[in-house]
Amino acid sequence: MLIPRKVKFRKQHRPGRSGAATGGTTVAFGEYGIQALTPAYVTNRQIESARIAINRRIRRGGKVWINVFPDRPLTKKPAETRMGSGKGSPEWWVVNVKPGRVLFELSGVDETVAREALTRAIHKLPLKARIIKREGGDA
Amino acid sequence: MNEKLDVEKRESFGKGAARKLRVAGRIPAVIYGHGKDPVHVSLPTHETTLIVRQSNAILDISVDGKKTMVLVKDIQRDPVRQIIEHIDLLEIKKGERITVDVPVHITGEPYSGFIASLEAAHLTIDTEATHIPTHLEVPVDGFEGGTVITARQVELPDEVILVTPEDHVVVTVMAPAAEVAAENLEAEEGEETEAEATSEAEAPAEESAE
Repeated sequence: MLIPRKVKFRKQHRPGRSGAATGGTTVAFGEYGIQALTPAYVTNRQIESARIAINRRIRRGGKVWINVFPDRPLTKKPAETRMGSGKGSPEWWVVNVKPGRVLFELSGVDETVAREALTRAIHKLPLKARIIKREGGDA
Repeated sequence: MNEKLDVEKRESFGKGAARKLRVAGRIPAVIYGHGKDPVHVSLPTHETTLIVRQSNAILDISVDGKKTMVLVKDIQRDPVRQIIEHIDLLEIKKGERITVDVPVHITGEPYSGFIASLEAAHLTIDTEATHIPTHLEVPVDGFEGGTVITARQVELPDEVILVTPEDHVVVTVMAPAAEVAAENLEAEEGEETEAEATSEAEAPAEESAE
């Protein structure tokens, strides 16, 4: 599971969800990629689940890249707690994904297998996404 | 053969004017090169989109009655809608040498059980402006795991000079990492389940301690 090794501050403000991604919007390493179409906080558990879904499908080959890292803590107050008394305790590690961001990349498998694998991964993510190919390459 | 496009000169600038152009079915563009002042133009959206699918496309355009040959240097796209927002066109002359990025394509299949990974999707070359190769091919037929193909080993067409450093890795042939990962998957999952169970059990204790 992806988690920061060390953080300077345990609790952060919730990251802004507006706007589109300004970087990491193209397939840079592999041939196919998952591109987000809606904003979302993607947790490390969801990333891991999607990675496992891809690896299960491409059992006989391929290489997977995870282009995002969940480096932001989200906090949660315990159930049935009155408001106040400070911020809750860190509960999840998330990456703030904005529309256009490429989350996963895949190469070394044919297009049918790649699309099936990435579709399964998309089902594990809390956002709408599409599969894109690298521009001007083999894909 | 170079593509011909209907080009109109732009007189209004800024994001408002650019948005109006895009709504009207045109793409804002700029032409520069040879030390001249830049010229702001607009191109028809549909035709341009079809032409720029090919990398390093060359266009024959006419601005103020003067015919010019231009190279598509840069394209700005909307990452979500995938529409072209702006194009940079570089003025070129026949016989002139230019530096461009050309895509690399892998051909063939490596030895059974190995995969070829493209490490450099593009190579920078110095070539004659009107004879830019559409792509460079790297054959990987029968290569075994551990084979590394560098830029020096990529076959270039005549009169093309490599600009990318010669020892730059272009393709590596390796055993698929996913296979190894898949074998360890069940073991990992088993460990995770145990870890989750343990952490769930521990969590209330931590809270009470706080």
